[in-house]
Amino acid sequence: MNRLTLAVAGGRKTQSVVDDCLAAPKGSKILALTYTQNNQQELVSRLAPYRPLEAHVEVQGWFSFLLRHWVRPYLPARFPGRRLHGLNFDGDPGRFAKGEGKFLDSEGRAYKRHLAQLALETDQASSGAVLDRLSRIYDVVYIDEVQDLNGYDLEVLEALMASPIDLNLVGDVRQALILTNVRDPKKKQYKGINIKKWFEDHARRGDLEILHNSTTWRSNQIIADFADSIFDDSWGFSKTVSQNTVITGHDGVFAVSPEHVPEYVTRYKPLCLRYNANSAKSLDLPFINIGMAKGLGVERVIIGPTSGMINFLSKGKRLDDIPCCSLYVAVTRARASVTFVADNPDRLGLPVWMP
Amino acid sequence: MIERIIIRGYRRFDKLDLTPNPGMNIIVGDNESGKSTLLEAISLALTGKLNGRWAREELNPFWFNRAAVNDFFTKYGTRDQIAAPEIVIELHLVDRDELQRLRGVHNSLKLDCPGVLMRIAPADEYADEFKEYLHDNPPHILPVEFYDVDWRDFSDKALNHRPKELAASFIDSHTIRSTSGVDYHTREMLSEHLDSRERARISIAHRKLRQQITNDALSDINARLAAEHSSLHDRPIGLQMDQSSRASWEAGIVPQVDDIPFAMSGQGQQAAIKVALAMSRTAGTSTFVLIEEPENHLSYTSLTRLVSRIEGLAGDDQQLFVTTHNSFVLNRLGVDKLLLLHNGNTTKLTTLGDDTANYFRKLAGYDTLRLVLAKKLALVEGASDAIVLERAYRDRVGKMPIEDGVDIVSMGGLTFRRALELCTSLNRQAVALTDNDGHPMAEILAPLSGLLLEGKRTMLVSDPAKGPTLEPQICAVNDQELLRRVLGRTSRADLPTWMSNNKTEAAIRIFDSNEPIMFPDYINEAIALLR
Repeated sequence: MNRLTLAVAGGRKTQSVVDDCLAAPKGSKILALTYTQNNQQELVSRLAPYRPLEAHVEVQGWFSFLLRHWVRPYLPARFPGRRLHGLNFDGDPGRFAKGEGKFLDSEGRAYKRHLAQLALETDQASSGAVLDRLSRIYDVVYIDEVQDLNGYDLEVLEALMASPIDLNLVGDVRQALILTNVRDPKKKQYKGINIKKWFEDHARRGDLEILHNSTTWRSNQIIADFADSIFDDSWGFSKTVSQNTVITGHDGVFAVSPEHVPEYVTRYKPLCLRYNANSAKSLDLPFINIGMAKGLGVERVIIGPTSGMINFLSKGKRLDDIPCCSLYVAVTRARASVTFVADNPDRLGLPVWMP
Repeated sequence: MIERIIIRGYRRFDKLDLTPNPGMNIIVGDNESGKSTLLEAISLALTGKLNGRWAREELNPFWFNRAAVNDFFTKYGTRDQIAAPEIVIELHLVDRDELQRLRGVHNSLKLDCPGVLMRIAPADEYADEFKEYLHDNPPHILPVEFYDVDWRDFSDKALNHRPKELAASFIDSHTIRSTSGVDYHTREMLSEHLDSRERARISIAHRKLRQQITNDALSDINARLAAEHSSLHDRPIGLQMDQSSRASWEAGIVPQVDDIPFAMSGQGQQAAIKVALAMSRTAGTSTFVLIEEPENHLSYTSLTRLVSRIEGLAGDDQQLFVTTHNSFVLNRLGVDKLLLLHNGNTTKLTTLGDDTANYFRKLAGYDTLRLVLAKKLALVEGASDAIVLERAYRDRVGKMPIEDGVDIVSMGGLTFRRALELCTSLNRQAVALTDNDGHPMAEILAPLSGLLLEGKRTMLVSDPAKGPTLEPQICAVNDQELLRRVLGRTSRADLPTWMSNNKTEAAIRIFDSNEPIMFPDYINEAIALLR
C-alpha cells in the first residue's frame, strides 16, 4: 500500500517517520530517504537514541539511493562495459548530448542532472531487475520532503508505487522550494507546488492514499492563519490548527521600519531571513536565505521582504508559486512572532512595532 | 549457497568454471591437483583474507598462474605481446532474499545474481613503473607491488570487510599456527560464536581485571619505581597492564575441552572442536564451511565421529567444501557429492544415482579413491586376479602396470555394476575382467549394457570353454609340467583343484616364477587395452 501524508509546517513530519520506524515490527526492512543533508542528519540523530531498533532502518539521501540501488548494480545492462565512479553534482553534458555522454562524464561519474532518467533507463535495460532487487531488500520506503522531487524523480516514484514495496511519502506541498532538478523538463506541469496535482491524479487512480494533517505544533494560531492566507483559496488547503498556545508578550505578525530594526533585533534576537542574496540588500543583518532555513524551528523571525511580498502584504496581490512557497517557509519557521521590514510599515495592514 | 565458482589465473587454475553441489562438496584429486588452492580461492573471495591476513598484504607473485606469467614475459616486447596476468575469483550465489544487496551484473558472465568477486590486476596509477620494470629485462616474476586487489560484490560495491550475509569457517589441516594458542580461523569462529552482548561482557570483565592488577599488584612496585627513578626522570615511571587493543580478551581466551586447553588437546580433538564451532551460526546468514583433509591426525574411530558431525553440517543454510585423500571420508559423505580435480579442471558426478551413493556409504571401507584417481583402471575380482594380471602385464610390457599409471583394483565386496557406474559418471576409462563362473558371456554382459562403451569401458569375460574361473583357465593354456614346476606341486596333485583352494598362494608363485607362463586370452586382451 502506498501512502502520502501531507502535513503543514511544524506538523512533526520527520517525527512521524521516526515514530513509524520505532513502531515497525521486528525484522522489517525500512529505508528512509530524504533530499537534503540537513534532513538526513536530523533523521539519523533522532533514531540514534533508540538503536538497536526492532526493525532494520537505513537512512539515505535521494541521490545516493539512485546511485547505489538503481544505477550501479545494473549500469552495464544499459551501457555495456561501463561502471559507475560517483556523482557529478554540477556538471552539464549540454543540451545535445546523447547516449552515454548524456549520463556519464569522462570519469564515469553520473550527472546529477540526468540521474533519475539514467536510473529509469537502467531499470528498463535490466528488465526490471533493479526493482526486483530493491523490493527484496526493503519492505517499506519512506520519503521525507517528497515535495522536493520533480521531473524524472516522479517517474521513479511511479515505479516504486507499482512495486511490492510499501511507499510512504511525507511532505508539505506548500514548502516545494528546493527542487532535485530545477531544469528537468519531464512532467513540467507538476513542478513545485503543482506536485499536489500529481498526488491527486494518483489518488484518483487508486495508487496512493492521501492523508492530511493540518495540525501545527510550532507556529501560534495568528502566524498559522497568516501562513494560510499566502495561498489562494483555489488550492483548497484546509485551515491550519495550532497547538501552540504559549504567550510570550510579543506574539503574531508585525511590521517594522528600517530605522527600528537594530533595536528590534537586539531585543528579540530573531532569525533573519531574506529571499535570496539579491534581496534586502539595504539591511545590514545576519541574513540567511529562506531556502536554507527549511526544517528549522525558531522563536522569532524577521524577514527582509521582496517587493512582490510587499505588494502581497499591502495590496493583496498574489505571489507566483515559488515566492509563495518561499514566504510560507519563512513565516512558518517562527513559533511566536514574524516581523516584516518595510519602509512604510503602516501600509502592510499589520501591527507596527515601535520601541 | 555458491552456485558457480569461476577462477582465472589463480595458482594452478588457468580457467576454472565449477558448479558446486548445494550442500556437500567433496573435493578429491592427486597431490598438487589444486584441492587446497580451491578452498583458498573460495575463502579469499568470501572473506577478502587468506590465513587471517588481507589479500593485499599476503599477495605474492606465486599467486599468479605460472604458465600465464611465463607466457606474458616471453611474449612481452614481441608482436604477440599479451596483457599482464590477472587473477579473478568469482562466487555466484543463489538468488535468495537476504543476499540481494550483493546482486547485480558486475561479473565476467554479466549474469544477474548475487555474488562476490576478487580481482587482482595491475594498478592504473603504477602503469609507468610497471612498464619500467618490464624494460629492465626482469626475471619472470610479476611485480605485485604494482598490482591492486579489488574486492567487490556483484552490485559493484567495493567491499572492505566480509559482507555480513556471508559467513565462512575455514578448518584447515594445519594445527596451531600462532604461539598464542589458537589459530586465526578458530579464533574467528570462536568470536562469531558469541553474540555481541556476550563479547562485550567478556571484554569489560577482562579490562576490569587488568585494571585491578595495575591497582593492586603493581601499585607497590610503582611506588618503589617512582622513588628510585625520581632522580633520573622528572616524571614518574611506572608499570601498568597493557590496555591497548593488542591486549584484547581474544588473545587471552581459548576454548578448552575437559579442562584441557585447546592447544594442549590432541590434534584430532582440535579438529573436532573446530567443526563444532563452525556448526552453529546465526540464522539468516549463508554459511560456508571449508574443511581441509579432516582425516589428518585422526584414528579411525575419531574420524567416524568427526565425519558424522560434518555430515550434519550440510544443509539449506550451510554449504561444505571438504578436501580429502581418504576413501572412507568420501564414501561416508557421499560419492555422488564428489568433485574431482585434475590438472586444474574439475569433473563433477552428475549421473550417479542415489542408490549407488548409498551403496558406497554402506561400503565405507572400500578404497573408492583408487577408482576415482587412477589414470587407467583395471577392475578385477580378487587379489589372485590382480597378481596374475600384474605378472602378465610385466611379461608383455616390460614394467609393472603401476609404472604406466595402470591401477589394478580388486572389487572386494563391490559389484562390477556399481564400479562401472561410478566410472561412467566420471567418464573414466576402465577395463574390467571377470570369470564366467559357468555362465554364458551374454548373460554376464546384459545387465551392464548401458555402462560399457567401446574404447572407454570394456568388460572382458573368460572363455567358458576353458573353465569357469581363472585357475582352470591358466591350466588350459599352459603345459602341465611347467605349471607344476611353477607351483611346486608333484604329479599326484590335481592342479586346478589345488589352485582353486590356494588362490592367492598360487598367484604369488606364478608372479615370482621365472618360467615362461602363458595367460588366457581375456587377460592378454585386457593388457592390449590398458597399454
